[in-house]
Amino acid sequence: MNRRRTITVGGASRDGLTSLGVSATLRRLSMHQWLLRVLVVVGPLLTLGATMAARGAFQPIALVVIGSMAVGCALAPDSHLGLLVVLLASLNWLQTVNDETTPWLLLAAGGLLVLHTSMAAATVAPPAASWPHDLVYRWARRAGVVMVATVAAWLAALGVTGLSPEGHALVLIIAMLSVAGLIWWARSRSLG
Amino acid sequence: MIAPGWQPTAAQVRAGSSGAILAIVGALVRRPDAVVLAVPLLVIACWGALRRPRSEPVVSEAIDHATVREGEATTWRIEVNRGTAAQEPVGSHRDRNHDAGHDAGRDAGRDVGRDDDGGIDSVGAVLWAPPYAELDPPWGEMVATMTAGASGGRETARFAVGLRSTRWGRRFVGPARVVASSPWAAFRWTSGSTSSRLVTTVPLPAVFDAAAPATHAVGLVGLDRSVRPGDGSEFAGIRAFQAGDRLRRIHWSRSLRTGSLHVTSTWADHDRHVVLVVDAFNDVGDSDGIDGRASSLDTTVRAAGALAEHHLRRGDRVALVVLGARGPMRVPAASGSRHLRRVLDVLASIEPATALRDDVHLRLGLTGGSLVMMLSPLVSEVPLQRAISLAGRGIAVVVVDTLPEGVTDDDADDPFRALAWRIRLLERARELRAVRSAGVPVVEWRGPGSLDHVLRDLARRRSTPRVTRR
Repeated sequence: MNRRRTITVGGASRDGLTSLGVSATLRRLSMHQWLLRVLVVVGPLLTLGATMAARGAFQPIALVVIGSMAVGCALAPDSHLGLLVVLLASLNWLQTVNDETTPWLLLAAGGLLVLHTSMAAATVAPPAASWPHDLVYRWARRAGVVMVATVAAWLAALGVTGLSPEGHALVLIIAMLSVAGLIWWARSRSLG
Repeated sequence: MIAPGWQPTAAQVRAGSSGAILAIVGALVRRPDAVVLAVPLLVIACWGALRRPRSEPVVSEAIDHATVREGEATTWRIEVNRGTAAQEPVGSHRDRNHDAGHDAGRDAGRDVGRDDDGGIDSVGAVLWAPPYAELDPPWGEMVATMTAGASGGRETARFAVGLRSTRWGRRFVGPARVVASSPWAAFRWTSGSTSSRLVTTVPLPAVFDAAAPATHAVGLVGLDRSVRPGDGSEFAGIRAFQAGDRLRRIHWSRSLRTGSLHVTSTWADHDRHVVLVVDAFNDVGDSDGIDGRASSLDTTVRAAGALAEHHLRRGDRVALVVLGARGPMRVPAASGSRHLRRVLDVLASIEPATALRDDVHLRLGLTGGSLVMMLSPLVSEVPLQRAISLAGRGIAVVVVDTLPEGVTDDDADDPFRALAWRIRLLERARELRAVRSAGVPVVEWRGPGSLDHVLRDLARRRSTPRVTRR
């Protein structure tokens, strides 16, 4: 009698037990979870839309590939599929857009932010749970702060690009060391 | 195996990895736009890493009532407290039902330690519900944030899941799973060892009343009164009105004087010995709980509860025997309201068809004045044979048919089902004829007044000479 039911948070199995299944998860989604799943799909489409707008050309293949993967992310927000979508959308931007400081870049970065935030938020609550208002406000406020930081980075990139058109080895080394240090620190904090 | 403690999530891996890759690519190929794309992800990864929780939550659970009646609800309560880095053991989990006495000391001890840095952002909880249970909120899934208490003390997340049991029986509720998340869902903690709770749902007795006279006629009626109060003619006293008292017993003059209702209580005229025999060899039909269709065992159990309640309220002694179920399925004859609770508890613990051998001997001190009420869907032959053998000993036996309506209807999914039922019902009709010819009345259960007719016939038959096997 003492049966155990799989507990899935965000609709995907995360504890090594059997998953509820996609259809069972979708049947019980609360309104907040539906909204989050929609945002998971909208996020990469925003990035793709910004890419197409910056380039001025329609990308049907990218739309199909990234769109279908985004739907997969919405169905399984606790999976690593989101990492692939972020990298694909970013690679598509880097390969397609030559204007490195176009304002469309903010929309593209915002799309990645929406994708990541909504996927992460979808995993903190069980599928049928309704979110309390303070939790919604907290996540929205945090996303706003990150967006402000992104805008600041874009402005800095705008300034740096205007100041120094030529490359500099020392700047590159400092940048690489900074990134490596940041990664090392984040990794040790995450896994330690 | 769920790893204890906090674990980095896919979200943290995604933010850290993609942010790092984009930043490195941007630096290597001189693409500031790649760095701008990396910024939100890196900020989130660093934010999540900075707010990494340093202690594990402490979960405590409790259920308000371990025994409820059909249709009643209870509440499963979960409380998640922030632990301290130094003192709480890994995967702390407390059972408030069992540890309530130690809570104060533990809480006092925890307060000495240093509080965590606020790493728990939200807590989700899921309660596993057994069959025939309705949860509020639906699915038993909730999420909450950690909030400080009224005095600004330790932050706590509290959950209350309403649990309405819609069918009698003993079922395990739970376990509840609690999942705590850090900011940005970067780290997650899952409660490890939660325990289930056994919740007993006692049957809600059906509505029943009988106006027929007692079948008991051997000896003492009219000569001695019972030592127990009950429905009778011998004056016992005047007492305050209680739920269930008949209106005609109200003592109006005392009630008017005192301003509250009083009734005249009487001694029971006799203490009839009623034996309820419940057939649990089969459970025929579908059960939707108390709000829907009733299976044969549902009807049987609720009818048995109703008969027990009716006779105990009248001051009779009631015994219970369950056929076809394992475990302590026998309640000796006794009277009183506590005895009703014992009867209902045993009825709630019936697991049908778990003891198919008929090895129960009805040695309950049955005398010629006993009344045996056998409740059965009459699908198995065993109860009928029992009824015939008891009637042969001169004991008044009434068989109550609890086969639910519609169970023999055509089934589109199984065309042979109705045919099989028709064949079985023909056999059943033959068996019932044999039972009736042995002098055992068979009556369908229809609630109030179901047994009036047969009980009158039995009382009348008592006054006639008869041959019994001793």
